[in-house]
Amino acid sequence: MKRRVVITACSAITPIGYDKATILDNLRNGRSGIRPLRDDGLLSQRIHSQVFGTVDYPIDFQFKRHFRKTMGPVAFYACQVAGDVLARSGLSQEFISSGRLGVAFGSTHGSPTVQRDIYRTFFQELDSKFSTIGSVDYLRSMVHTTAVNITRMFGITGRVIASSTACTTSSQSIGFGYEMIKYGMQDAMLCGGADEYDTTTVAVFDNLLACSVNYNQTPQRTPRPFDRDRDGLVVGEGGAAVLLEEYESAKRRGAEILAEIVGFSCNNNGGDMILPNLDGITTTLRLALEDAALPAEAVDFVSAHATATKMGDVIEAQAIAAVYGDRPHVSGMKSYLGHTMGTCGAIELILAIYMMEQGFLAPTLNLDNVDERCRMLRHTPGVIDSDAAIAAIQNFAFGGVNTCLLVKSGKRV
Amino acid sequence: MTREETTAKIIAILSDDFEFENPGPTDNLRDDHGFDSIDAIELLGKIEQTILGFSLTREEKERAMTIRTIDDIVNYIEAIRLAHNTP
Repeated sequence: MKRRVVITACSAITPIGYDKATILDNLRNGRSGIRPLRDDGLLSQRIHSQVFGTVDYPIDFQFKRHFRKTMGPVAFYACQVAGDVLARSGLSQEFISSGRLGVAFGSTHGSPTVQRDIYRTFFQELDSKFSTIGSVDYLRSMVHTTAVNITRMFGITGRVIASSTACTTSSQSIGFGYEMIKYGMQDAMLCGGADEYDTTTVAVFDNLLACSVNYNQTPQRTPRPFDRDRDGLVVGEGGAAVLLEEYESAKRRGAEILAEIVGFSCNNNGGDMILPNLDGITTTLRLALEDAALPAEAVDFVSAHATATKMGDVIEAQAIAAVYGDRPHVSGMKSYLGHTMGTCGAIELILAIYMMEQGFLAPTLNLDNVDERCRMLRHTPGVIDSDAAIAAIQNFAFGGVNTCLLVKSGKRV
Repeated sequence: MTREETTAKIIAILSDDFEFENPGPTDNLRDDHGFDSIDAIELLGKIEQTILGFSLTREEKERAMTIRTIDDIVNYIEAIRLAHNTP
């Protein structure tokens, strides 16, 4: 059994906005969501990179304590976008709780804010607080906290996939959700990812010399994917969800079809945990085309992973050139958002859907002088009108995990 | 602390921290207010910190798992105080 899979609702909390109009306005006007790193009283003063892709606007979370008690900040983002998506979908509660809707949702490592509080208790020997560790704190910080807080809040009884593969967390979630429906295991999947504001992640990349450090005084000038003067990634936060449905049933119930997922691939480099791997990435891109039964020429837009690290961008450019040549426009959306880690694939997918729906493509921000080694690509030259029909969303993670999602504009479904 | 004072303190905790609406001494905690086992653990932590001033043993905590009403909570606290010989 192979069934078509469509996206019928989406929502994203991003460093460049929450509602669609704000996000599109910021994309059209080249506004970055990178801000100075906040003082966290712990690590921030020791980190060389002083920039962060920040959600700096208020969000009106309306969760009752009954639900809040098991939620760390990451689950707030996750449940907020999940609630948006279910409300926009128009699905009945009967279907939501039927067992035919599953959840594929993850984060990089649960809630580091809660984990930090747990460690503080241990290291400071706060006996009076010790008794609270192990029940609520575990539920708030565990690696599948986003997925199961969503199932609990909305009464979802289908399958749960709690992917946690760093930068491919949410692209894997969406891809695995797509396969669940395609092969008949579920009729709908609520998929996505979230990651909260966290300096631990910045410190990790900082120690690996992978973070941007030269633009601390001018945060909006970094990251600079594919640019000659790029100096590393910028960690960010956010949450994003999409609702995937089987095409025929979505059409039957009159659901708005925002896009169709036509292909997905996921593989591993089978070697180094950190260094990008040209063979692995190239294979991923080809496997997605194979899954979609499409020629490379069918892809109009590549949303590159493009973190703005020295080697990562070059290897990715080589892979794109090898598979697609210089036909599709290429943009790196992390130039607006920073690297939103576990949620980047879902956010970047939603941005591609928004842009295809609106008939434009946004360029890579801060791409002032293209690196010689990335010149062979067709970089989106500015905000351009476009009738792109198919976009590729590429994401690669520590551990050598690679994903590629191929998505068709809802206008062409 | 009198029984009335303990009751008032518990009701304040349940209203402020657990967002109970109009809690009454004989309400069923689970059926009327959605109180669950996670809440019970959290409430015991608050009772230790703000009412008793000492840590409960595991055995004492397990005994609390049969509590059904606010009156039961107050009875439980009074029994613990008596056992520990504290006012």
